Amino acid sequence: MTGVRQARCDVAVIGAGMAGMAAALFAVERGLSCIQVGNSGGLLFASGLLDLLGVQPVADGRLWQSPYEALAALAREEPDHPLARVDARSIRSAFERFVAALGGAGLRYVSLGERNRKVLTSIGTIKTTFGVPLSMVAGVDALETRPPCLLVDFRGLREFSAVQIAATLGERWPGLRHERIEFPGCEALPELYAAHLARALEAGETRARAIALVKPLLGEARAVGFPAVLGLARSSEVHAAFEAGLGVPVFEIPTMPTSVPGLRLSGALEAVMSARGVRRHHQATVRGLAFDGGGGTATLDLEGISGGERVSARAVVLATGRFSGRGLVADREGVRESILGLPVLQPDSREAWHQRDFLDPSGHGINRAGLRVDDAWRPLGADGRPAWPRLYAVGSILARQDWMRSKCGSGLAIATSWAAIEQVARELRAAAAG
Amino acid sequence: MNSPSNTATQVLIIGGGATGTALARDLALRGVDCILVEQDDINAGASGRNHGLLHSGARYVAGDRQVAMECRAEGAILKRVAAQTIQDTGGYFVAVQGDDERYIADFPALCARAGIAARAVDVAAARALEPALSERTIAVFEVPDASIDPFRFSLETMAHARSLGARLMRRTRVVGFELEGRRIRAVRLQSLSGGEDLRIEAAQIVNAAGAWARELALLAGAPIEMTYSKGTLLVTHTRLAERALTRLRLPADADILMPGGTVSIVGTTSTPVDALDDVQPTTAEADLIVAEAARMLPALATMRYIRAFAGVRPLVGAAGVADGRAISRGYALLDHEDQGLDNFATITGGKLTTCRLMAERAADLVCRRLGVTRPCLTATTPLPVAAECAWTEPGRSPRVWMRSHARDDTLLCECELVPGRAVDAIYDALRAAGDTPTLTEIGLRSRIGKGACQGAFCAPRTVAHLYQRGDFHAGRGLAEILDFFGERWRGQRAVLWGEQLAQAELMEALHCGLFGEELRGDDLRAQASRDAGTPGAPDDAPTNEVSS
Amino acid sequence: MSSTIFFSTLYASLVLCALGLVWRVSAWFRLRIGPDARDVASSQRVAAVFRGAASALFGSRALRLLGALFLDVLLLRKLFASEKLRWFGHLLVMVGFTLLLLMHALAPLVSAKLFPGYQPTLDPYLFLRDLSGAMVLVGVALLLFRRRADFPQPRRLIDWAFVTLLLIVVATGFVFEAYKIASPRAFYRMTEQFIGSTDRKELEPLRAVWASEFGVAFDDLKQPVDPALLQQGRKLQQDSCASCHSKPTSAFVSYPVARALAPVERMLDAGRANEWLLYLHVFACFLGLASLPFTRFFHVVAAPVSLLVNAAAQNRAFSTAGRASQRALALDACVRCGICDARCSVAPVARYLENAYLLPSHKLVATGALAGGRLLRPGRENDASPDDTHRDEARRVAEGAYLCTDCGRCTSRCPVGLDLADLWRAGRDDLAAVGLPPPEQWVQARSALAWAESLEAGSGQHPLADADAAFAPLSADRRSFSRCVQCQACTNVCPVVAHSIDAEHGIDLTPQKVMNLLRLGLRDLTLGSRMVWDCASCYQCQENCPEGVRVADIMLELRALSVHRLGALRGRREPA
Repeated sequence: MTGVRQARCDVAVIGAGMAGMAAALFAVERGLSCIQVGNSGGLLFASGLLDLLGVQPVADGRLWQSPYEALAALAREEPDHPLARVDARSIRSAFERFVAALGGAGLRYVSLGERNRKVLTSIGTIKTTFGVPLSMVAGVDALETRPPCLLVDFRGLREFSAVQIAATLGERWPGLRHERIEFPGCEALPELYAAHLARALEAGETRARAIALVKPLLGEARAVGFPAVLGLARSSEVHAAFEAGLGVPVFEIPTMPTSVPGLRLSGALEAVMSARGVRRHHQATVRGLAFDGGGGTATLDLEGISGGERVSARAVVLATGRFSGRGLVADREGVRESILGLPVLQPDSREAWHQRDFLDPSGHGINRAGLRVDDAWRPLGADGRPAWPRLYAVGSILARQDWMRSKCGSGLAIATSWAAIEQVARELRAAAAG
Repeated sequence: MNSPSNTATQVLIIGGGATGTALARDLALRGVDCILVEQDDINAGASGRNHGLLHSGARYVAGDRQVAMECRAEGAILKRVAAQTIQDTGGYFVAVQGDDERYIADFPALCARAGIAARAVDVAAARALEPALSERTIAVFEVPDASIDPFRFSLETMAHARSLGARLMRRTRVVGFELEGRRIRAVRLQSLSGGEDLRIEAAQIVNAAGAWARELALLAGAPIEMTYSKGTLLVTHTRLAERALTRLRLPADADILMPGGTVSIVGTTSTPVDALDDVQPTTAEADLIVAEAARMLPALATMRYIRAFAGVRPLVGAAGVADGRAISRGYALLDHEDQGLDNFATITGGKLTTCRLMAERAADLVCRRLGVTRPCLTATTPLPVAAECAWTEPGRSPRVWMRSHARDDTLLCECELVPGRAVDAIYDALRAAGDTPTLTEIGLRSRIGKGACQGAFCAPRTVAHLYQRGDFHAGRGLAEILDFFGERWRGQRAVLWGEQLAQAELMEALHCGLFGEELRGDDLRAQASRDAGTPGAPDDAPTNEVSS
Repeated sequence: MSSTIFFSTLYASLVLCALGLVWRVSAWFRLRIGPDARDVASSQRVAAVFRGAASALFGSRALRLLGALFLDVLLLRKLFASEKLRWFGHLLVMVGFTLLLLMHALAPLVSAKLFPGYQPTLDPYLFLRDLSGAMVLVGVALLLFRRRADFPQPRRLIDWAFVTLLLIVVATGFVFEAYKIASPRAFYRMTEQFIGSTDRKELEPLRAVWASEFGVAFDDLKQPVDPALLQQGRKLQQDSCASCHSKPTSAFVSYPVARALAPVERMLDAGRANEWLLYLHVFACFLGLASLPFTRFFHVVAAPVSLLVNAAAQNRAFSTAGRASQRALALDACVRCGICDARCSVAPVARYLENAYLLPSHKLVATGALAGGRLLRPGRENDASPDDTHRDEARRVAEGAYLCTDCGRCTSRCPVGLDLADLWRAGRDDLAAVGLPPPEQWVQARSALAWAESLEAGSGQHPLADADAAFAPLSADRRSFSRCVQCQACTNVCPVVAHSIDAEHGIDLTPQKVMNLLRLGLRDLTLGSRMVWDCASCYQCQENCPEGVRVADIMLELRALSVHRLGALRGRREPA
């Protein structure tokens, strides 16, 4: 009954993960009209930490204190790495704009600066990252000076154990104590879920009871760490209330997926998108994508719950991610790009996809598979030339990078999106002029 | 080498597989004192790396009627005495277009000759009950095959043996034999879990080390002819069939699909190998299994697989036979007397189905030598249920958890719904036996890490749980996680495509991307094998950090 | 025909019609649907209507009412939106019938007054009458030709009778007209009246013209006609006939019929067809008039009223009294078009369970029956005499009512704009009142595990050869949940699980656990679970699932499966 709706825009961004969101944001900031397609559920895997580049080279597992020096090393050692193809100045401004946008949506990060920071993880390891949410920064400071601190966890929150973290750090942080408390109102529940606790803590009364439970446990602690459940949309308010209530700095430690910081990220970014007038089709999937003869304009056929929509766009940005994002699809024969079947750079045989040891320092071959792009971030076709004049690819779908081992996931997403959108804008301006 | 502590026993059994444990129980039931030493863990070898098929014997009616008849008899016995470890699923032998017509025609007669009840089933009726069967199915016979849980079987067998006085020493490796004339006076052993070294004096020594029997016999100066055949199997994400489904043809690659409780297990392959260390499934083997088995069960071509595993069959017989399948699946009991040893015996080869019989024959030999006259009781004595061994049963823990649904009983594994109490029961039982249980050992005795996530989520939760209980200290948890993943990963990499690849990607994003475990990996694994009590933790400021 | 017979039957049928209307309309104030309706007296409901009407007519909303009258009632806007063909059919019948009624049936009161010199035998009236009749016929044909439904509405005899009457009226109308066109007898009656002669010789020229150009079927006209004669006849015709008679060819239906009747015209004349055809036509009209209120075609009254009431009350909450009447009105206003059935989100379930009561149009009838005490009286379901078909019927009605997902498609698509969602709510309350409570009540009376165990005990049903696969395709198909990567997004965004923080006891399973139990082949463990039954169908899980698993859809499916399978179990174990 319902006919196919029509829509047009300058840029259609396929994908709503970190890269898709960044691309859409940068597009509208450059005055391009933008339609975004895809489910933002992938962001729920995010820890809230924004990596730029922590390890280079992967095989040596060398950690860097300055992401920009790491980038310089990357440029020397792996010039083909997508991050190595974005200049530092662009990366700086990209991160500034991205973090600023998040701050505008109520998700505030500490000023980025030039250095990587070290963050405690929920299993007691220490993660090197770059962008740290305000709610976690007290942990970074505490980890540097190691004063007497208290880690608090909640019975029933299975993904976070304070005693585990304290024990794992052992005598390298002797003053680190741990306490377990009942989450107010959940005494009867066997299992707790981070997002529900976060929502519950936005209620002043529950929050007050939680603070009252922790207060007597403080001892000489100079900072208190919690699992990252201090509020969802109103996290800064909740965090501030805890610091005021306890009288010491309070920091969050990211938990396993689905993590509250991930939910905050997707919430904030969705807010940004709607505020900036990005039309989102978060439940739609791309059924067809075709370019006209010259490749100038693209036609996307979307299939959503409320019928179909036909979008014609002057440029398309592919930010569909890898395997769990289903931008790449692998069967026993090999890896395909899921929407256009673009050629994927990949190991010759499946035996070469993965090392025999999960933690093999050199990383798994499959993680460096992906799309090859030209200098304008346009994925290459079988003939080694851009598949389409105005098709661009950004984020983790790109080849020759291993973001999980390099600790550069967010950096890859934000930097490549920035660079690609710059190209899109230039191209569309030129088209308008000529 | 510091002077080891001495122990004495009547019989020393080397190897904690199905045969070794069954032997320990057999001897214990006869009142013979014995110690079982195992270099790794119960069923760590081929005993734990098979289909879990309790053969009716039908598979061997053409190739080896002797084995077929042994299987028939032993299968019937185990269904009687170890019912709790067996699901009497029944089995279909299935032929598809292109399979050897003559074999199909001869099959009923062959079964009849071996005394195996095989009933022809109408193809349409069979497909109604097993919808996964190919529409190109041309013949189906029903046979009394069944599914056995090898882990529960061996664990309960050992538990029973221990209750009767038998002793178990896991993570203990034989490093030498002290010979004295035609006798082995003592066996020298090394603890792999940081315990002190051992010297055991035994009247009789039985080599039940399965694939490792050759090395051991060599160490004892009594070489045996043995070849290794590697068999790989795949585990599906969801259960595909109710019955044991076997391709109706002479035994070949990938012609069995077993119900493994909540999953299906399909395989196997048979490739000769000479080394036993680091036997891993390969992608080529996975491809071969999928392609071949899909002819009987087309759904296997699009199925999500969650892991693969490979075991090594010890085949006693002419070395250098190309095809392992050509060698008998019969067992071998060697008394080594012609090699100048009077108190040493090797029992190896054979099948899971016939392990009780093998143990009985070995026990008979040992008892004759010891002058013990008590008869074997394992064919008639029911295997007692041991609560802590029941957690290996797939699909059981959800019910237990839903029944109790206690406030303090949270699920540690979501995939298979394994509650904390399961881990408690297993841990405490191992602890009571004087062990310091590892995550891998808990995994072997439960469904932890056996579900879709292959440990990515349940391993950290379980470790956190054990810290909370006060069982884990210092950096132990992280070390355990890494070891556990190491073991799980061996079985994953061969089946990582489609959805399971996305699962693996998420696992790496979490454990490497966020936790950075690969940066701490090596020093920790080294430490894991040290005594679990010793403190020690990842160094968060590695020397190789570049400072500006 | 004798005017006494005519008028006496006319008034009789008018009285019957009026009585019928009163009876039907009064039902709008008598019938009580929903518990809230039981507390308001009929008088209050009448009062409420008057208040509403007054404030609507003399208030700011009068204009909107006018708009609704024009767009919704006259132009059937809503129907146009959903089904063009049906809309066209309806419009044809409506317009055609109205024209016939006013211009033809009430000619003396309308046409004669409006148009000076109106003659039924003159154009355009001649043409228009045929046109209107044709419109009605085509319209009815269009409406009778309907999409084949899986569960066609049971047609009552009286409804069929009414349609037949309508057809008879139109058909006899055409035939009667045709007969008169071709009838020599009618011709002579006219010549006698207006020319004062019936002499064939003298009228020969006129006869020639009327035979050749007006289709009168003379059997004694000598052929071929002499052109001169024809000329003469035309002049005569101009002088004495033209003022009242256009050429009948413009009666594009009757004229061909007349030509067809020509051979038998003499017999018809002899058989006084003019009289019995007229009686047939007129009495069919009266009969139709009298029976209208008692057929479902009463909707020609109820539907417009309903539309106007809705328009009047737009974005204003009804008072309890008002809503009570609105529900009763809805029962009559439903035209049984079946558009809702076609769009119903549980239609597949209905097909599988072979239970039509899942479908709106059938559920509406049942709701009425229940309210009218025709299905069950309170307490009745318990005197479980095995022969009591009512009880089983009520059970099926309850199954239908509770398997509704409240997706609201029926309401949004209803061409008459009925607030069906409200009707369903009220109906469910009534069912609960007569001892047929919502399933979650009896399902959650036992634990999920208990249900699963009695299921396994009850049926040796084969999990893999799933008998319900056709009915529960998602939960039966591994591909629908094999994408799960265990990330817990569904559980974390689930408001039901979140709510269990406040609840005194949490829910038994989480969405993710339900998916995992499916994967483990333990679907039976989920059917009786609180998660499945407390699921709010908010679709948060589905919208947030990074892997695109249709979690919420699966929940709905499990709920339907649960009612189906646990319901059977419950029926066996503890009769009602």
